[in-house]
Amino acid sequence: MYKLLVLTSVAALTAMSANLSSSAQAEESQARDWGLTNAELKRVDGTVVDVRCELAGDCPNNCGDGNRQLGIVDGDGKLYLAGKNNQTSFNGAVEDLLPYCGQAVEADGVVAGHSGVTIYHVQLIRPAGSEEWSKTTRWTKQWNAKNPELKEIKGPWFRKDPRITSRIEANGYFGLGKEVDQAYIDEWK
Amino acid sequence: MRFALPALAFAGSVVIAASGQAAETKQLTGELIDTWCYYSGVMGGPDSTQGSAHHTCALWCAAGGIPVGLLTDDGTVYMVLSYQGEDPVNSEPFLDVQSHRLTVDATHYQRDGINYITIDNIVEDEGIVNVNHDDWGTVPGFVIPELN
Repeated sequence: MYKLLVLTSVAALTAMSANLSSSAQAEESQARDWGLTNAELKRVDGTVVDVRCELAGDCPNNCGDGNRQLGIVDGDGKLYLAGKNNQTSFNGAVEDLLPYCGQAVEADGVVAGHSGVTIYHVQLIRPAGSEEWSKTTRWTKQWNAKNPELKEIKGPWFRKDPRITSRIEANGYFGLGKEVDQAYIDEWK
Repeated sequence: MRFALPALAFAGSVVIAASGQAAETKQLTGELIDTWCYYSGVMGGPDSTQGSAHHTCALWCAAGGIPVGLLTDDGTVYMVLSYQGEDPVNSEPFLDVQSHRLTVDATHYQRDGINYITIDNIVEDEGIVNVNHDDWGTVPGFVIPELN
């Protein structure tokens, strides 16, 4: 009985300790979990890298000028692949990491995924040692700068971007042809 | 021996990249998917975030610069780092094959639990073969403005 009590107490203390540790990490992060699969709020301090450069040794200037996938390598050498930024309309994190290519940063966000794969969605970033966080919201500013005539038209970027609209016009929303779209619309309208 | 040679021709070869990272050349077949929706669960389970149901969203996410992955038949996802020599973000040819089932010659890297590839050559492009919008509708539901 005494052994059982000791074991139970040790198990309880271990669980409490794990909970306290988890809480401390969550407090440290200011990120929101967004309700994602297996979400873990995560501060990552490390260096912004061009992932292809990091893996293949193919390293153009400036991390590929925004045309490559970027990530952060932390102090233990772990590579975090960057996915989303802090915006809500299908915006990746490349534009927000690019200004820090090769530089030490502190990032805050959420790691999420399944099947052994996790992606880091970066919500806040600052140069290492800085006090001030920046929200990762550069994507639409950059898109607006590249598309000044479109930004004045009402609606989100993904309804106006000619890279997307031209493909939907050619192949439909399902990518199977406009007649497939029409059959679906006729059924559900 | 006569039968061993063709088998060897399909086997991947391991090389050491300039980074010092081991890489393997291999041929893969799978569907190009949007990895944000597939892995985040933000729009439902993995089955609903691929195929024709999710095609428009795959275009949105790829154009937004979110990593695209090749989902192979065994469930492995390979994050695409280049498409036929071209960087993937902002690549128009890469947009043309979103949701397509491709057979590719690729160079494969692994790091911290994630598989990455450069797609070096397209062997076959079958187009969109995962026709699943009768099961899921459009994912997300607001894709078609006429139905909103």
